[in-house]
Amino acid sequence: MKMLTVVKKEYKDVVKKKTFLITTILTPLLMGAFILIPGLLMKMAKSEKTILVADYSGVVGDQFRDQPEIGVTFQGIDPLPGDSGTLIREYEERIVAKESDALLVIPSDVLSGRKALYYARNVSDIKTNEFLSTRLQSILSEHILVEKNISPDIIEEVTRPVNLETYKVKKEGTKKSSFSVEYLMSILMMTILFSVIMTYGTLVMRNVVAEKNNRIMEILISSTRASTLFYGKVFGLAFAGLTQVGIWILFGLILFNSFSFQFLQNIAGFISLEFVLYFIIFFLLGYFMYSILFAMVGASVNTDEEAQQLASPLIYLLIIPFMIGILVTQAPDIPLVTVLSLFPLFSPTLMFMRISIVTPPFFQILLSILLSVLTIFLLAWVGARIFRVGILMYGKKPSIREIMRWIRYR
Amino acid sequence: MGDSVLEVDDLIKDFDGKRAVDRFSFRLRRGRILGMLGPNGAGKTTSIRMLMDIISPDSGTIRILGQRVDESLKDRIGYLPEERGLYRKMKVMDTLLYFGELKGLKRTRIRQRGQDLLERFDLAGYRDKKVEELSKGMSQKLQIIITILHDPELLILDEPFSGLDPVNIEMVKDLILEKKKDGISIIFSTHLMDYAEKIVDDIVMIHNGRKILDGTLADIKKDCSHRVISIDYRGDLSFLRGNPMVSRVRDYGNRAEIEIENMDHRQEVLKQLMQGVALEAFRVSDSSLNHIFISALTENREEEVAG
Repeated sequence: MKMLTVVKKEYKDVVKKKTFLITTILTPLLMGAFILIPGLLMKMAKSEKTILVADYSGVVGDQFRDQPEIGVTFQGIDPLPGDSGTLIREYEERIVAKESDALLVIPSDVLSGRKALYYARNVSDIKTNEFLSTRLQSILSEHILVEKNISPDIIEEVTRPVNLETYKVKKEGTKKSSFSVEYLMSILMMTILFSVIMTYGTLVMRNVVAEKNNRIMEILISSTRASTLFYGKVFGLAFAGLTQVGIWILFGLILFNSFSFQFLQNIAGFISLEFVLYFIIFFLLGYFMYSILFAMVGASVNTDEEAQQLASPLIYLLIIPFMIGILVTQAPDIPLVTVLSLFPLFSPTLMFMRISIVTPPFFQILLSILLSVLTIFLLAWVGARIFRVGILMYGKKPSIREIMRWIRYR
Repeated sequence: MGDSVLEVDDLIKDFDGKRAVDRFSFRLRRGRILGMLGPNGAGKTTSIRMLMDIISPDSGTIRILGQRVDESLKDRIGYLPEERGLYRKMKVMDTLLYFGELKGLKRTRIRQRGQDLLERFDLAGYRDKKVEELSKGMSQKLQIIITILHDPELLILDEPFSGLDPVNIEMVKDLILEKKKDGISIIFSTHLMDYAEKIVDDIVMIHNGRKILDGTLADIKKDCSHRVISIDYRGDLSFLRGNPMVSRVRDYGNRAEIEIENMDHRQEVLKQLMQGVALEAFRVSDSSLNHIFISALTENREEEVAG
């Protein structure tokens, strides 16, 4: 079958290129960096610091213990007699001069005022701040309870810290998960989806422009139908895309199964078989929709520059879901998001993002797939016609009206 | 003419309201070479593209090898387009494999036949080279190999000589004649009358989308050549005006071509010429295709003006 010949040729053309190998290797590395670097940076940012504790109340004493996991050591200093203002001014200078790291002032009325003062060059270190305030709270609680003659056993019982573990509730079962993993992963997966659709969509476009410029179309069309060429091209590159995605998934599985870092485990927990399946489905839907659109652009223009220009609306269409992505993570089920995710041109990215956050009702997923498939068939029909006429039009750039006329050509 | 491999009737094609091809009809008989002649922009390429189903005619019928053009028919035709391109990054043999497969050939057959043809065209050493490494002449040869790779029964060549150097022109000419010997029917378009004259059996001339002349080369030459008297002279030819025996005078000053309606009037016209002007030389010209073409063209124009 002639279409198979075209599919094979287009597939080989892409897969044999060096860029295919490079992007296959580089993309996961970049993505990995995207995930790991913030974590690494946070670790690197964990600077060792000594917090000087000036206790005016006499309640705290030396009850702040060193916290090596957040890099904090404590050192009590004698509160200067009188006003704390003098002491603070002195240490402000030292902190600026980097002779000291940080100063925690416990005012004399801390029990009634429930307030402490913390001076440091960096006060956005959430973990340190959180530790200081919860620890101080329990020290104060203990103090009050001791004053009331409550037995130490009970005190210890009452002041034990509470952890909040977050669980993601899904149809297939509940999983331990946290917002940061959740959000990061859904954005990440959408980015991968977006870039694969973009890459292969524009590849189809450039391919068509190149063949137009090669003046090779006439020989091809004298051997087979334009639609055979068109579909052959679209499918050939789809298989190339699937090959690349397949390689990534395979390596991902190997990676997740052979290492047991907590972080990787979190991701592995996030990715289920169903999820991979949806990824492939929505990749194919998005790819076919956009590659056909890109191919139409390619057939209508003569140079790569013209193609870039005419393709920019398509790229905006692909980017819009990102802009509403944050809305999706916070309220994946509100009507606006539901409607947008059913709109075929957004479905591949938005519906997929919704799936990665909360599983939407199955009929919605099905509906979005059906609508997308319908759109693809419609686009393919129009696209083949535009392709048929466009590929033999050299020279002048056609107007939209002219392109509309191409669709009606026999 | 029951044995036509190509029957074209009343072909019409408009582009943006302008008529590119106007009620164009012709036949290509089996085993013959038909030259489609006409100046640039006459509608040759448009007509040929319609033959190949690359563009659809607005009306009219085309029957090739007794049937309407479809997929299976494409495998039996060898087409060399005017706009010729190849995949620059593809290797020579891979190019043959791809285009051969698109013509429905098996890969083993392509390798075998491709190798033969590459050898014949002195390209055997390049089979594993990329197309971009070939010289212009070599890629033209490769184009031709692609056109005949699948042993087509009918060859349709659009301006096969354009852009070729003299050596390759000879080669293409030889190939056309050789294919004719194999019984293959050939139609080619050209605006180069000299080359056409040497190889065609039949002619169809097209101008402004309309057929202005067709027939066998022999008939056309017979019809035209003996009607022209060429003279070198001094004097004034205006006395010929209004002469019923003379259909047209093309006066170049020192030289003139005088067309006569009837060969029987040849002596009489010559007599009048000798009396009217100082005749230095004369001959009843063996009209070239180029000449025929130009005269058919002028006739056509005059008709247009008159009509």
